[in-house]
Amino acid sequence: MWPRIVNAILGIWLMAAPAVLGYTEPAATSDRIAGPLIAMAAIVAISGATRPVRRVNAALGVWLILAPLILGYGWTPAINSVAVGAVVAALSLIRGTVSDTFGGGWSALWSSQQREANEHGR
Amino acid sequence: MSAERTPPGWSYNPSEWGQRLPIVGAALVGFAIASYLALYQLNVFSTVWEPFFGDGSRKILNSGVSKILPIPDGALGALGYLADAVTGVIGGRDRWRRMPWIVVIFGLAVGPLGAISILLVILQPVLYSAWCTLCLASAVISILMIGPAMDETLASLQYIRQERSRGRSVWRAFWGIK
Repeated sequence: MWPRIVNAILGIWLMAAPAVLGYTEPAATSDRIAGPLIAMAAIVAISGATRPVRRVNAALGVWLILAPLILGYGWTPAINSVAVGAVVAALSLIRGTVSDTFGGGWSALWSSQQREANEHGR
Repeated sequence: MSAERTPPGWSYNPSEWGQRLPIVGAALVGFAIASYLALYQLNVFSTVWEPFFGDGSRKILNSGVSKILPIPDGALGALGYLADAVTGVIGGRDRWRRMPWIVVIFGLAVGPLGAISILLVILQPVLYSAWCTLCLASAVISILMIGPAMDETLASLQYIRQERSRGRSVWRAFWGIK
């Protein structure tokens, strides 16, 4: 649970960061787009059946790490982006515990066999 | 009895009332917020409640994006929440296999429509440099509903998939025809 909570808070932080730290485009635009997406993916991934959605934040975290180089940030937004991106990506890799079972999860929809029936949703 | 209602390979029944009613409750709260915003957009109320962001709500709710469609986006949101609540409440505790069609409509209404609300949150600061408290509250409600709702959709889709692999009609399974 806590990796999702921390990532949701970091996503909300990115929405506020341009105003709090006082920076503008292009960093502000990237953070105002990535922030809500990270918070949404983290919150959706709290539920066991949709835990795989956490992986969206691995990609968004990598984007935050690379964005300062690609878009050309100043120091403050660059440090913020890389630090938040590294934490978000790292926490998104933690699956955590899923105590319920979901009949093989989403992969059961496209696999031909029912053998995953008792496997936990990853 | 309850074992019969639990989908195969599941540790619980996602169509249980305890699973569904909190989502329906959240949808009704969202409906109330969106209806209030829609009534402001339709000029029924002349002012809108905004405790944090100055004239942010006024800017957002009168923006070009909010008027892209024939009805204001607040009204569209209210209709979406109403669809969530209605499709959330229809059917019994075994609706995941008795009425997969309503569960799939419920999943589409809560899932993709919830994702659209996050798009509106992104547009607020990027396009208008403004925030709207009640719009954000509505987006938070939409997002909180997605995870708890999608498990039931998964159970229905798995059921249709199993019926197909048993050589039965996907069409009949979807509509819950025995």
